[in-house]
Amino acid sequence: MAATIEKGIAFVLALLVGGTTSFQLYKDWSSTGLDNQVTKLLLGLMAFGCILVVLAAVGVLGGG
Amino acid sequence: MAVSAFNSSHEAVAARYDAVDSAYRETRDLRLLGFVLFLISDVVLFSAFIFAYLYLRNSVPDWPPITSTGHQLPRFDVAFAAINSCVLFGSGATMHYAMESWKHLNKPAFNLWMIATIVLGCTFLGGQVYEYQHVAITWAGSTMGATFFTLTGMHGFHVFIGIIYLITLFVQANTGVYTGSKYFGLTAGTLYWHFVDVIWVALFYLFYLM
Repeated sequence: MAATIEKGIAFVLALLVGGTTSFQLYKDWSSTGLDNQVTKLLLGLMAFGCILVVLAAVGVLGGG
Repeated sequence: MAVSAFNSSHEAVAARYDAVDSAYRETRDLRLLGFVLFLISDVVLFSAFIFAYLYLRNSVPDWPPITSTGHQLPRFDVAFAAINSCVLFGSGATMHYAMESWKHLNKPAFNLWMIATIVLGCTFLGGQVYEYQHVAITWAGSTMGATFFTLTGMHGFHVFIGIIYLITLFVQANTGVYTGSKYFGLTAGTLYWHFVDVIWVALFYLFYLM
């Protein structure tokens, strides 16, 4: 039961953070310069991390 | 710092960024390249440990491994790690907002987001300490424990250093070290913090999901 609640919290948080990160990535997509390019790459990977958390929360990854 | 429509446009940010003397611009660009190379060298460091983990993992028939007493070690707690991961990724988002606030000359928002980032970073570290206290394996007991504590410990150390780094940047930003056009330290701090977040994406997948 506790694990289900924890996964529910993780699911909501991952959607929130992933959505925010993706929105920032979309907003900064046209920015140029090495620092901005690296930031975009890292933001994209962070958004990917949020997808992993969502998949773990719904039981697709991590053994349910 | 006052916020006006001009100050908050992306064009204004870019214009301010370029409105520095050529010597500073050249030095800034070289420092940025050096910092990115440092991050790449850190990727190499983590990659070496990750490949060692994958090698050890694939050298045993079962994972989690079976101990000499015949019982299989338990998997790590995915649910708790998922929440802790969101805390760290959330700190990456707040750090990004802090940087954007500084670029757009909104210092109160910058301070708020920086404090949020530091608090979330400390929360993540607290979660890791809690997990270390409750996990059912030890460093010396198995390859699973050795690789887990080594890699997550090394990452945790990076987070710890990152928190000290962020606190330093916070103090510097509030004592006039950085301006609206000269803020390389903040850029480097943001890149470092995002990097620490991204390394955790790999560790989260390797230890909890794979």
